[in-house]
Amino acid sequence: MIELSSTPLVIIIILGIVGVILPVINVIRKEKGSNSFYAVIAFAALILSIGYVGYQFVSDNILPSALFSKEVIVDDAFGGFFAIAMLIVAIFTTVGSFNYMRKQSYPSIYYSLILLSTIGMVLVAYSTDLIMLFVAWELMSIPTYALVGFIKRNPTSNEAALKYFLFGALSSAIIIYGISITYGITGSTNIGEVIQGYSNLDPSLVPLALLSVGMFIAGFGFKMGLVPFHQWLPDTYDGAPPTITTLLAAGTKKAGFAATIRIVVLGMVVLNLDWTLALGILAIMTMTVGNVAAIMQKSLSRMLAYSSIAHAGYILIGLAVAPHSSLGLQGSLYQILNHAVMKGMAFIAVAGIVTTLAVTNLDKLKGLGRKMPITSLGLVISLLALAGVPPLAGFWSKLMLFGGALDATSALWWAPWLAIAGVLNSALSLAYYGWIMRRMYFEGEREKRVKEPKSIIAVVIFSIIFLVGFGVYPEPIIQFVELATPVVSTTVMP
Amino acid sequence: MVNELSDFVLVSIALLGIGIYGLAVKRNFIRMLFAIEIIINAANLNMVAFGRFLPDSGGQTLALFSIAIAAAEVAVGLSLIIVAYRMYHNVDVADFRSLKG
Repeated sequence: MIELSSTPLVIIIILGIVGVILPVINVIRKEKGSNSFYAVIAFAALILSIGYVGYQFVSDNILPSALFSKEVIVDDAFGGFFAIAMLIVAIFTTVGSFNYMRKQSYPSIYYSLILLSTIGMVLVAYSTDLIMLFVAWELMSIPTYALVGFIKRNPTSNEAALKYFLFGALSSAIIIYGISITYGITGSTNIGEVIQGYSNLDPSLVPLALLSVGMFIAGFGFKMGLVPFHQWLPDTYDGAPPTITTLLAAGTKKAGFAATIRIVVLGMVVLNLDWTLALGILAIMTMTVGNVAAIMQKSLSRMLAYSSIAHAGYILIGLAVAPHSSLGLQGSLYQILNHAVMKGMAFIAVAGIVTTLAVTNLDKLKGLGRKMPITSLGLVISLLALAGVPPLAGFWSKLMLFGGALDATSALWWAPWLAIAGVLNSALSLAYYGWIMRRMYFEGEREKRVKEPKSIIAVVIFSIIFLVGFGVYPEPIIQFVELATPVVSTTVMP
Repeated sequence: MVNELSDFVLVSIALLGIGIYGLAVKRNFIRMLFAIEIIINAANLNMVAFGRFLPDSGGQTLALFSIAIAAAEVAVGLSLIIVAYRMYHNVDVADFRSLKG
């Protein structure tokens, strides 16, 4: 029996009640505007939830990373880690929307959908049962379809939403088919029992098991933006409202990784198969395609979208070497947290630029460093952190990832190539990030400073403190990551 | 006559194939949505059949969840398609080309 004070339940209760009540308040108050009223309520609910997760960590009420449980959800450190990352992203989105939503209608529904989607993301990380995982996955996805198409009169927003919906629905169809096969061959939907069932499988059923794991990788890969499944991603990130792009790039993508770690990586260890090579090839393809395509982009949000594809590749390195090196998976988790903050801040900065100047084209960003100094500084810091420049937080996570790849060399002859590809790709990405910085600071005429939105400045300053602070002194975060990382090599059910 | 488990699984695989074919070939959003629905229903058939032959009630539970969720998903998808139809008076994928690069 799950206790009522367990973290996922409390998060469902807080965010669910507030998320359902917001539209009701709107109906009762019978008014259209007053965006900030709803934003403050949503913000308070998110802060309360993240505070509760933090309190549970501090007071040691959370189990060590269990990964398996007889229940449908487990209150473990792995889920808590992802919950913190996703709640940070949801807070970024809410705060960043203070300004962006001022010109749009129906703010209450907008914030309510953000809260409901956040519940889904958090539950994906906590769930240990395939039914729960699927329900949480859909709870995460369905509000985001509506949010991407939220600006009804805008054709690009609608087109982005339709593309996203089509691929998202296909991904959930593939996942449910994979679940049905898994259920058929193992007779259970509990992830622990499924993996135990996999490990003593009749040899004639092994191809079916492979098919089901392949379907999981494909289904989750659509959301993560791995390379054969990435076509929708740049269009959607470009056409969606930039604040919602933050939620997609930094939030739903990470939920895909949480689900993959829960199912695929553990299944991979037990099935004793060479999935590692397949994941390694996917990682290298994803990094290279993302970075090469990013160089050719003319629009800032599109370029960041391709760079977020590339980052899915870096994170996948850690998953590929997970059976042979614990450092790799730790690096993945660390990179997931860092990427949530870095990409979140970058897209919020884009939202700020769009609301004040209404441009995303790279050529029109000339002289931005003088027009919007704080936003530009935030963008520069997040880009440098994305590239992995040393004193920032992004450096340590990449170091751990590549170190994990080298660490696995004794078992996997091709593992060093992952590290080499990662380093080369980081160098390549620095090239196009450098382009943007040059445009912002060294080109264009002297222009007057524009008034920057306060909410966006708040997000930017918080992220700068996070990235620089934990870059200079990474010890606490590394300990947190070590606490949250499951030990993969001993996957025997208790 | 009693149906074997393999009959159900074969039908389900055939439905999966039809769904993927429909997604690959059709260029109309509503038809593509139907194709996805066919895949989801193939999975439902699988789960109910496995639940019947295992025997275990979990499969039917999962199928009920999946039907309810698919309905919610289709509601959102159709509303997006209606918005698109009001703008373009067409729901053909080829007409959606404002995002490129």
